[in-house]
Amino acid sequence: MRLLALMMVALMLATSASAHRLDEYLQATLLGLTRTGVDVELQLTPGIAVFPSVLPLLDRNLDGRLSPDEETSYAQWVAKDLELVIDGEKAPLRVVEMRFSSLQEMHEGLGSIRLKLHGNHAGTRLAFRNHHLPELSAYLVNCLAAPGDGLTVGRQERDEAQRSIGFVYSFEPSPGKPWISWLVGLGAAAAGGLVLLVLRRHRT
Amino acid sequence: MPRSLFQAHNISLLEVRGNYVHDGRVTNLRLFTTFLAVGLLQAQGPLVTNANGFLNSLDETQRSKVLFDFNDATQRAKWSNLPTTMVARAGLKLGDLNPAQRKAAMSLLSVALSKKGYEKVMAIVEGDEQLKLASPARAAGPMFGRDLYYISILGKPSAKDPWMLQFGGHHLALNITIVGREGILTPSHTAAQPAKYTVEGRMVRPLGGETDKGYAMINALDEGQRKQAILNYKVADLVLGPGQDGKTIQPEGIKGSGLTTAQQAMLLDVAGEWAGIVNEAAAAIRMAELKAGIGDTWFAWSGPTDPTRPAYYRIQGPTVVIEYAPQPLGGDPMMHLHTIYRDPTNDYGKKSVAR
Repeated sequence: MRLLALMMVALMLATSASAHRLDEYLQATLLGLTRTGVDVELQLTPGIAVFPSVLPLLDRNLDGRLSPDEETSYAQWVAKDLELVIDGEKAPLRVVEMRFSSLQEMHEGLGSIRLKLHGNHAGTRLAFRNHHLPELSAYLVNCLAAPGDGLTVGRQERDEAQRSIGFVYSFEPSPGKPWISWLVGLGAAAAGGLVLLVLRRHRT
Repeated sequence: MPRSLFQAHNISLLEVRGNYVHDGRVTNLRLFTTFLAVGLLQAQGPLVTNANGFLNSLDETQRSKVLFDFNDATQRAKWSNLPTTMVARAGLKLGDLNPAQRKAAMSLLSVALSKKGYEKVMAIVEGDEQLKLASPARAAGPMFGRDLYYISILGKPSAKDPWMLQFGGHHLALNITIVGREGILTPSHTAAQPAKYTVEGRMVRPLGGETDKGYAMINALDEGQRKQAILNYKVADLVLGPGQDGKTIQPEGIKGSGLTTAQQAMLLDVAGEWAGIVNEAAAAIRMAELKAGIGDTWFAWSGPTDPTRPAYYRIQGPTVVIEYAPQPLGGDPMMHLHTIYRDPTNDYGKKSVAR
């Protein structure tokens, strides 16, 4: 009976005994909005079947390892392929952090490339599109919540493949620092008093 | 039971009012929560006893491998969906334990989990054993199987001070933080490959409840509600899977306040597939919390609603994120399922520990 059961399992698993991504280059993007700009976190995971196509784009001299120059060059290429538009204006993205798994890990379908990018533009309308290697890729794109920062995000519109996203957003007015207001108020009152005193002396 | 007796035993009452329906009988909820609170204290006793029993069954070298500092952030986050041969885990491997030690480890796990939760976890582990048997032999040793699951303990098992029990391997990561009467299961990862297998003539579906209840939920919505719940884009994988601790995304889909009372109960029942993995006493606290936030809990769906075809869904509320994602990794995606269970406010029990 057990043998029969195992044979059934073997039959069911014949084509799927795999733990890792196969035929897609998964590009998962998280957008973090701040009052002063946009942070973009990108995790790129090449599947085993597509890795041979991605490899020469990473290891440009085909020496079997990733040099810092090759990593930087690839990260900058990705950055150029990302289109961020804030309030109708293109917002260039700068690579601020990058982490590459080894080529061996990626070859096994385990490795990924993690990039952090930043755009300085702030506004209320965001549009984002990923143009990087569309023929190989599957995409995820989401906006991070920041409830503590008073962020409100409107309905998010995406294309079916999640290559692009667009939405309006706003932040609650920043709560001022009360002690600064008090200091400014006191300063203004003192200055006003001084001016009055000087004027009175001039009149007398 | 008078309130003073609760205070004398340092038991806090759950501030829930109303009636509790169980097996067709209506019970006063206050009375129910009274018994629940007493049960919670009793539930932690066997957990600590079993944890100490397991630790006492080990030799010094093994104990040094299984014990970590409660604040060891590296160990806490050392979990993955991938096989242990690909992403190394720390702790003690089941395959390295003798039968008595292994029995003690499983006994500890069974007390930490509900009966249904333990069965689910064992079905995931057994599924991995089936995967091993169906995979070609490797010179470097097996990549799957029930021997390749790890157990670890962070902190000192205690009824008073916080500690943590981790159990996991390929397709499984349970992170259970115990803080007094609470057992916090977030973040945890459950998955299944194969998602359906037969053992001795019995069909096993480790994530059968998650699958069936998810499809029942989407199909219980009317056309207008479904329009809100179904996303117009494809979701290729978990968004907040392993490695995404501390992140929360903007919710989408249909909000719980737009559901009928019966649909809200269904949604809670879907979430219960994850919340109910921990022991019954801890799960009752968690379910009460999820129920309190149900109006602000969103349900989103991506894909067909036909139960024979793969689809992704997400439940996201003030204290919960659940994702269910069939994996398009070759073969039938419905035979390879990944899920994640998080509480952005209390992952690894951070809120409960701070309290």
